[in-house]
Amino acid sequence: MFEAATPLERKRYYREEWDVRKLPDFIARNIHMREFGFDHTGRGPSDRYRVFDDEKRLSRFMRARFPFAAYSSVAFYREPGKRRGWQRSELIFDVDAKDLPVRSCDCEGVCERCLDEARELVLMMVDTLRGDLGLGDVHVVYSGRGYHIRVLDPGVMELGSEVRAEILRYTAGARQPRRKFTHSGESYEMEHFSIPLGYHRVFIERARHVFLHMRGDERIENVTARTVRDVVRNRELLLEDRWGEFKRRIGPRVYQRLVAGVAGINMKMVDAKVTIDLKRILRLPTSLHSKVSMICMEVKNPETFDPLKSAVPKFVHERE
Amino acid sequence: MVSSLFINPFSEDAREIVRNYGSPDTIFEASSALLETVKRTRGQNLDDNSLLPGSIGELAIKRLEWYLRRQRRGFDHGDYAYLMNPDIEEYDVIAFYVLAQAAGAGFRGGSREVRLVVESTGALVEDRFRVLGSERDEIIEEVLIELGSEGTRWMELSELIGSGKLRLTDLILHRGRVVIDEDEFLVTFQDRITDRDPRSLYEALVGLELKETMISRIIMQRTEDYIARVAEMSSTVEPHPLILETAERIGETVNEVTPFRGGQVKTAGPGKLVPDAFPPCIRGTLDGVKSGNRNDAIVLLLTSFISYARLYPSVFRDRTPLKVSDLDPDLRVIREEILPIIYEAAERCEPPLFEDDPQEKLNITAKLGFGVHDEPEPEHEGESKWYTPMSCEKIKIHLPDLCRPDELCRRITNPLTYYNRKRWELHKGKSEQEGED
Ligand SMILES: [Zn+2]
Repeated sequence: MFEAATPLERKRYYREEWDVRKLPDFIARNIHMREFGFDHTGRGPSDRYRVFDDEKRLSRFMRARFPFAAYSSVAFYREPGKRRGWQRSELIFDVDAKDLPVRSCDCEGVCERCLDEARELVLMMVDTLRGDLGLGDVHVVYSGRGYHIRVLDPGVMELGSEVRAEILRYTAGARQPRRKFTHSGESYEMEHFSIPLGYHRVFIERARHVFLHMRGDERIENVTARTVRDVVRNRELLLEDRWGEFKRRIGPRVYQRLVAGVAGINMKMVDAKVTIDLKRILRLPTSLHSKVSMICMEVKNPETFDPLKSAVPKFVHERE
Repeated sequence: MVSSLFINPFSEDAREIVRNYGSPDTIFEASSALLETVKRTRGQNLDDNSLLPGSIGELAIKRLEWYLRRQRRGFDHGDYAYLMNPDIEEYDVIAFYVLAQAAGAGFRGGSREVRLVVESTGALVEDRFRVLGSERDEIIEEVLIELGSEGTRWMELSELIGSGKLRLTDLILHRGRVVIDEDEFLVTFQDRITDRDPRSLYEALVGLELKETMISRIIMQRTEDYIARVAEMSSTVEPHPLILETAERIGETVNEVTPFRGGQVKTAGPGKLVPDAFPPCIRGTLDGVKSGNRNDAIVLLLTSFISYARLYPSVFRDRTPLKVSDLDPDLRVIREEILPIIYEAAERCEPPLFEDDPQEKLNITAKLGFGVHDEPEPEHEGESKWYTPMSCEKIKIHLPDLCRPDELCRRITNPLTYYNRKRWELHKGKSEQEGED
């Protein structure tokens, strides 16, 4: 499992298992407006600016070239072959299990455990995108080493990088929640965990996720190693939502620094560069992630998805 | 009693008043009733007649002039006290439309003049909230109903969110809508709020402050949209001559108050670049950047930083938007000093920026305020905005690899502020050394 695919295995995959009809509809329906990019050698997608007028032509290419990796742009262009005439771009969140700053396993690349933690995070984020932000046309794609959330809601596709960065902050819980409030001229403070709605709720969930999956040796900005260990020791309280007591055990002053640190970690749980880049190419669903021998695929039901059951190509089972 | 007209020019009542007023034929006719109201305003300076608007048209210009002057040293609130007097509201609504129509008829969208008219509208709304006193709550509720913000979706505010004027995380969102109304808040969240009074939580989260911000932002947005519609119409229907005259006055006022080259702008004015005072992120960019971050580093960060550092380092202190040509009229500095620095840094990237993305040259021109063209040309100025350098917070997100904060970075929030501070420190250090000799 998770071993690289040989050229022969790639060839078998694209000729025997891959089927262009499995391409998700959100890609197939405007295939001619996207730029495609390919990696033939395993050293990065250097074959770019490719265009396919329809699925048939893509199919022919894939079967003939069985690339190491295949990508398509999140942007729609008038002239995709020149990357000109930008019209709109999907909104993307890239959660790579390999790069999670907090995960409970200590594997080298990815393993069942961190993949599942990435999936949990993605589930929460999808919930926020739909529930809070009211976005539709939200798709989850298993990338081979993590997940992509791809949003094609017409309301966001024309937004610029700045707004996308702000959506990311909201969805990832990457800003320290507001603590000072004023009412009738008096100012007072409220902790994030005493506000069970809006962005505060998002932050509570993301912070809980981070605390529950820490190994205890993480580095958090402006927080001592001892505090990190205290978090791990007391985190069971969070399972019962006893945040007040958790804060007391950590120490009220240290807690504020911890909250700031977690906001910073949340930002790193998602690859921000992908979200703000309007012209990025993203691994093509149905294609093979040759480094780990996994199929990149759209996930219809993220609640129950298990990549080790659904995303392993046949040739892996037939390996000696 | 104050009415919502004082705040919101987009209500049905406001439109009714404008409809009844009819054609702009009389906007520059003296109105003794208006003048009386102005004079009766408490705290109004009366010793200079040129301060007092005697007609709707003059009032329109005064709204803008107030905005341009109030950021200046020596601004006297008493010169414009009538703008904060609710008794002028009916004249003021007409004046607003005169100003907005003139902006649309006379200037391009995105021009400095249009921007200032929009900003002045928002600033007036914000300042007027402060003088409402006991009626403030009611007026806010009334205006929110008029603007229909109960149904506002956050996406309609995306421009404000993108420009940092409004933070998404400060809004209470539910299924894409911004929850502002108390009943909607209670119905939506009651089940979740268990251990505190939902009403007081509503007051805290959806406080007056947020409502006021929303209102002023929405009004600014509508003003901008209105100006754009007028501009579109003026391409087919000849604007009223008095509206065009008002447009000319807008141009004069803007030029008079934010003049060319130094002038009344306190600390503006081009100076030689001091590379020793560049912050780490800029030094990193000048050394050349590897793929990923490359385009943003050159186009967004370096272009704005170098141009402002060279021509207008005090932009954040003066807070007066200027054009490049205000400081570099023949674009000599831009062409001979600034662009070469940017192009050379682009060349040092890996791979060189223009080899890979030749269209980024157009984007650099655009970020200097000269639209999407190969090189800055005077006739294209104003087609885009002269971008101010992005904040450290943004750099951290967009260009994390370049952000290697040093001691001074911790005390500033923008690379340009770093530059000014460091320049001053270097200068101080030098004179101290000289003193020792
Ligand atoms: Zn793992």
